[in-house]
This record gives sequence, C-alpha cells and structure tokens, in this order.
Amino acid sequence: MGAVLQKLIPLAVGIALLGIWELSVHLTQVPIFVLPPPSAIGHALVDNFTTLMGSLWVTVRITAMAFFWAVVSGLALAIVFTRARLLEMALYPYVVTLQVTPVVAIAPLILIWVGFDHVDRALVIIAWIVAFFPMLTNAVQGLRSTQPQLHDVMSLAGARWWQRLYYLELPAALPSMLTGAKISGGLALIGAVVAEFVAGSGASTGLAWRIIEAGNRLEIATLFAALALLSALGIALFYALTLLEWLVLRRWHDSFAKTR
Amino acid sequence: MTRAPSLTLNQLGLRFPAHGSAAGVVALQNITASFPAGSFTALVGPSGCGKSSLLRVLAGLQAPTQGEMSAVTQSDIGFVFQEPTLLAWRNVYDNVALPLKIANRKSRLSAQEIDVRVSEALTLVGLEARAKALPRELSGGMKMRVSLARALAKRPPILLMDEPFAALDELTRFRLDDDLRAIWQQQKPTILFVTHSVTEAAYLAQRALVMRAGEIKSEIAIARPASQNQPDNFRAAPSFHAACAAISEALAQGERA
Repeated sequence: MGAVLQKLIPLAVGIALLGIWELSVHLTQVPIFVLPPPSAIGHALVDNFTTLMGSLWVTVRITAMAFFWAVVSGLALAIVFTRARLLEMALYPYVVTLQVTPVVAIAPLILIWVGFDHVDRALVIIAWIVAFFPMLTNAVQGLRSTQPQLHDVMSLAGARWWQRLYYLELPAALPSMLTGAKISGGLALIGAVVAEFVAGSGASTGLAWRIIEAGNRLEIATLFAALALLSALGIALFYALTLLEWLVLRRWHDSFAKTR
Repeated sequence: MTRAPSLTLNQLGLRFPAHGSAAGVVALQNITASFPAGSFTALVGPSGCGKSSLLRVLAGLQAPTQGEMSAVTQSDIGFVFQEPTLLAWRNVYDNVALPLKIANRKSRLSAQEIDVRVSEALTLVGLEARAKALPRELSGGMKMRVSLARALAKRPPILLMDEPFAALDELTRFRLDDDLRAIWQQQKPTILFVTHSVTEAAYLAQRALVMRAGEIKSEIAIARPASQNQPDNFRAAPSFHAACAAISEALAQGERA
C-alpha cells in the first residue's frame, strides 16, 4: 500500500465519521445541549476563538513546564539511583508511594501548601507528580541495560564515571528515555487537566476550566470545542516527541532499521 | 608501537564465590607461564576451561584471588572481544578514536596525533574508506576489523584477543587471520589469542597453551619455517598439520582423562 494512501485512509475515516455525526444529529433532532453537530462545534470554536486560545496557552504552559521538570528530575534521579544503590534503596519506596497515591487526593493539599496566590505553580507540581514516574523508571532501565562488554571497553580505556555516563550510558539509554518521555508527555497533559479540575472555579483559566464552565452553562458546543483542542494538543505533543525520537535514533537504532 | 613488555604469571588463581559452596567455583588455578615480548600465543581449550577468565585477569578486568603477575597497566593492553562491542551511535572513526579520547586525560595526545593513530589503525585493517559508516552499515567481518582497529589505535604492546573471529564465516576468518599475522609481523606486539579452533591456533601462533579445568595442561611449540610466511603456504605445510595433530592430541588427552 502506498505511503500516501496509508495517511489518507485515517483522514477519510475521520471525515466520514464527522459526516455521519452531522447527519445523525440533524435526522434525529437531538437537542444541541445534549450532542451538538460538528458544524456547531466549529462555530463555537470560531466564536470563542480568543478565549479558547488563551486557555489553550495556559494549559500548554502548565503541561510544558510539568513535562520539562518531569524529564529533568526523572533523568537526574535516575542517574543518582544508578550510581548510588543505597540512595535508591532509601528513596525508591517513597517515589512509588508518590506515584500510587491518587493525585486528585493530594492536589488540595498541594494547593494549600503552595498557596492560592501561586495556583499556576501548584498546577505544575500536580501535573509533574503525574508525569515524572515513567521518565524515572524508563531512564533507570535504560541506564542499567547497557551491554556489560561495552562497560569493559570503557574500563580498558580508563574511563571515569562521568565519561562512562556521557559516552556510553546516556546514549545507550536514549531509546528508553525517549519512550519514557513520550509517556510522560501525555501524562503531563492529563496531570495539567486534572490539576485544573481540582483547582476549581476562577483559580485557573486553562482548557479544563473552560470545559467545566461550558458544562455548567450548558454550552456543550463550546465544551466540545475545548475538548477538541485538548485532544489536538495531546496528539501534537505525542507526534512532536515521536519526531524527536525519529530524529535522534533513526540513523543507528535497530527499531528504525529499514524493512525490506 | 611501544616496546612490548614480557608478561609473567606466577601461580595465578581465580575463584568465584558460589551459593552452597564455601570453596566457591575455581575458574583458574596454578597458572604459571611467561609470554616473551613480541610473542604470539594461542590459548586453546574446551568451553568453560578458563581461557576467557585468564584474559580478563590479564586485562585487569578481574582481580586474581591468588598468585601474582608482572605489572602491566591497562594502557599497555589492547583487548578484542568475541563480539565487536562497538557503540552503535558512533561511526567507525569515532569508535576507534573513543579509547584515545577517554585516555587523553593521562596521555595528553593532541587531536592531530589521535587522528594520525586512528587513520593508521583503520588503514591497517583496510577500513579507511568506511570511516564515516555506522556499525549497522557494516558486515560482521568489517565490525570485527573496527574492533581490532580500536585495540590497535592505542598502539598497545600487549594485545589480548578473546575468540575474536569465532562468529564469522570461515573465509572471512581466514582473511582476518592473515591480516592479524601481517599486523603482528609488522608491529610485534605480544599477542594472546583465545580460540576454539585448532587450525586457527596452529596457523596463527608460535605456540599453543592447552587449558583444561582452569589450568594450563600442555604447551605446544609451532614450528613455522621462514619460507612459509606467505599466507597460503603454511596451511599446506607438514609442520602445520603436525601442529594441528599435536594440539588435537593434547585436547583429546583431556577428554580421556
């Protein structure tokens, strides 16, 4: 099957589904506050463009910051854990505790501790808690799974720990780290949305808040428009990270080997 | 290449701790041998007899639990593993240059000197035209050549080789054996070459040490008349067949014992 056709098929399916949706709503005369047709959602997007774009920017900012700190802290902690077994033994149970505790349950506490004057900061922290664990575990696994003989090559060259890290472990761990980053990216967005929901009325003006607000006002088309923007943001994030993975690994990693 | 030091081992032993055994597992025992500067020795023996462990001890990758050996530093040693052990994300040139770059803290080689050494090593193994290629773009034989070039670029007086050509097809192996002999004749490093192959040991080395159960059981000198230094001649020579027979016999004695 041609590459163009492969890309066109999902697009055609999407357009067909939207068409069926539009037609069904008109034929069955479902009230617009229950299920608006795609055309009404499009209108809502245009009518509320400035507001929705402002909210999108807020969510993008929170997601990006949470993701950045998830990558930085996940990688830093992974490096520490793989160098100091004792520290890993001491800290790992608490990292797991943080991960398994439902973030919705601790979010109000974080809001109180950080203070309602710095809601954005609290939102980033909540989203970071959701996003950081996959980055940490994947980076640890990547750093640990370097071929032992490559470590021997480093030992024979007289490599110091940082040379071993720089020349061998970090590049070898890149595939795992990028997988972790892809998961973390999606989770950072989910975390940002959850955090906005928890922060409640007026405290944040991101897309999640727009969804709550539109729901309360029964402006379901606007709710869908905000939802569509959230999905688009998630997809963009995923493909941006997939592109990064392709750029970094395509030349040397087996997963990008050309199939004949 | 710096002058090759001779290497002597005195009652060397290596024991690994094991569950349920206070004595542990003996990998090497009573290894006493000397490897004169510039000599070529093959270590032959069945799997698990301690050949690779001996090489690892000599390379400083494993500390012996007993005995002593002449002091050599890791900078004196080039090591070629059974697998090419190349960094997949670095091209051929960068793989060969890496140990020199890492060791540069001590050796203080200039970038130009590193370049000269890498180019020279790649020329020796016939891969100067593939310097920019990534490991995945090379055949198995070429990857092993890169691995050999990486060891040679250090200009090590001692070259330890752990079944480097075992995974290759016979024709490629013959070609690499010839290349290795030519490099040895040209640069005269002290070579210890671990192999499963009786014919490879007889073809390459000046003597073969037959190992069994962690010990050196016999030593076989391989006579190679000067006139038979041409690559293809020696495999047809009676002395080659005699060496093969002697090594096989020493191995078979172990099987019978």
